[in-house]
Amino acid sequence: MFFYSSLTCATDKTELVFFLFKDSVISTPIRLSSDDSLSVLRFYISDLQITKNKKVLWKDSVRHRLIDFEKGSFNQKSARILFPLNVLGDHVSFLLGVGEKTAARGIGEGDLDPIKGMYWTWQSGYINFKMEGVSSNSPSRKNKFLLHLGGYKKTLNTNQKVSLSIRNPDINISFDLNKFLYEINFKERHTIMSPCQAAVDLSLLAKACFYVH
Amino acid sequence: MFIKGLITTGTIFLLFSFIRIWVLQDRLPEYLPQPFYQIPTNPINNDTVQLGRLLFYDNILSVNNTVSCASCHSPFNAFAHTDHDLSHGVFDSIGTRNAPGLFNLAWQEEFMWDGAIHHIEAQALAPLHDQREMGSSINDLIEKLQKSDFYKVEFLKVYKDSIINSSRALKALAAFELSLVSFDSKYDKMRGGRASFTAQEKAGYVLFKNHCSRCHKEPLFSSNTYEDNGLPIDSLLNDMGREVVSGRKEDRYKFNVPTLRNLSFTYPYMHDGRFKKLRQVLDHYGTIDNQVLMRNSGIKAPIFLSLDDGADLVSFLLTLNDKSFVFNPDNAFPKKLLPKTKDK
Ligand code: HEC
Ligand code: HEC
Repeated sequence: MFFYSSLTCATDKTELVFFLFKDSVISTPIRLSSDDSLSVLRFYISDLQITKNKKVLWKDSVRHRLIDFEKGSFNQKSARILFPLNVLGDHVSFLLGVGEKTAARGIGEGDLDPIKGMYWTWQSGYINFKMEGVSSNSPSRKNKFLLHLGGYKKTLNTNQKVSLSIRNPDINISFDLNKFLYEINFKERHTIMSPCQAAVDLSLLAKACFYVH
Repeated sequence: MFIKGLITTGTIFLLFSFIRIWVLQDRLPEYLPQPFYQIPTNPINNDTVQLGRLLFYDNILSVNNTVSCASCHSPFNAFAHTDHDLSHGVFDSIGTRNAPGLFNLAWQEEFMWDGAIHHIEAQALAPLHDQREMGSSINDLIEKLQKSDFYKVEFLKVYKDSIINSSRALKALAAFELSLVSFDSKYDKMRGGRASFTAQEKAGYVLFKNHCSRCHKEPLFSSNTYEDNGLPIDSLLNDMGREVVSGRKEDRYKFNVPTLRNLSFTYPYMHDGRFKKLRQVLDHYGTIDNQVLMRNSGIKAPIFLSLDDGADLVSFLLTLNDKSFVFNPDNAFPKKLLPKTKDK
């Protein structure tokens, strides 16, 4: 395991924490093993909500969030989202990606600003999930891999709904990096830069890598 | 006396603005389909459009401040590029496609010859980032704009606060582009009952309806679809067209059907600018392997054009020119950008 998660409580708010890394000091790129490293890990989550018996108890007031482990939050080791302490749900759900509607619209602001590097320029659309690094399994130049997963149209839609059951009032969501990197066939898929079937497949894999402690 | 003078100027000014609004509404004939994007009203008094116009003509958009959007999209060519078959960008680099004219973009849902861009606001990111076009990035551009005293004032005027960000810059550019509306050709006047066609133009119109209008659909003269019009493949460029975007083999060598309005200004023609003259275009359609064309495009009747037909068709196509659009000073280079008035 590369990371674990923990909870810190504000007075009247609790936190939804997107993975904390184990090492107290993390420098970019994160070292995975002696041969593998990660330099970018960034993805959008949208429509984050907590439900109980399918009824919405709490909805994130921010529609789209960019979870970015390269800058800023890399050092903070986590992305923390506050929600009221009295919300006791049985599921947390979000869309991995910006969603079809937002993708089809024009240029957004804040986390959706194209200066965040999550917008394709030669072919329009948001990149929902971006991971870059080096893996000894990747046969590309200098063993680099670039996974830019995006695409929102019917057949090549990479927006994935993630729904996880929760038991505690505090929520720690982790992304199982081991599983993700282990299940990718880097020999065939080391560079993805546009909407394609491989991007859809990997977005499904990414969806399956989120888990709650 | 002085007050009277003021009142008269005021009235004249008001009248003038009304006329402009009236003219703009008048420019939109009722036979147009619903546009995909909202067209800015009263462009000349619309601050967002005017900010977009400044950006469109400003070299600040390129990495070494040498190339503006207008370098490849000149107002006097209905915003196409006529000197070059393939576009010409920073450091004398040559692109792979011909720059199309820019007008009536509100009726176009997707952009570029292969439709790679799905929204007008996102379009500018492509030339900005292309190493062969402007070689810059949206990040660099926003940084430059934030440092510019000139743009600080211009953005403040539009947005009433000091924020300069990419969404604002891109929306302004889009607003200017969407304000470029061209429906004042002889064809439009004919349809509006304000002009009539000559016998030759009429004959050309009939030929056009028989052979061309399936793809070049009236009144926009494009169907916003991707088609193969039977051009032989340029093996050097080997441009796959729509397939690059859709990933579908059946889209290979298909390109966005271009409008046929303002052809006198937008030469050379086709995605790679291979034809300089309309005559060559018609020669292509006249000699095309109709079996191939019919198979690829689903058109039913073969295209046969005699020499006379060619002349008639050209005379019809020329009725699609809109001089009042091309020479409209409101769309031209804004004087504000002259070095005297702009910051160093
Ligand atoms: C170096 C030349 C060059 C520059 C500079 C340039 N363009 Fe273009 N433009 C082109 C070419 C070439 C195409 C067609 C590209 C394609 O199909 O891949 C194009 C296409 C377009 C289109 C799509 C039109 C359509 O009908 O699909 C728009 C809109 C556009 N440009 C606007 C701009 C704007 C705004 C700028 C400035 C930010 C700009 N261009 C700068 C060459 C240029
Ligand atoms: C099967 C659909 C189809 C038919 C029918 C068709 N065209 Fe086209 N036309 C196209 C496409 C697609 C292009 C762009 C091709 C490219 O650049 O590769 C084009 C390009 C053109 C251009 C160049 C415009 C520019 O701005 O570059 C002209 C002019 C033209 N067509 C005229 C005609 C005429 C005249 C006819 C009838 C004789 C006709 N077309 C019939 C699909 C069609």
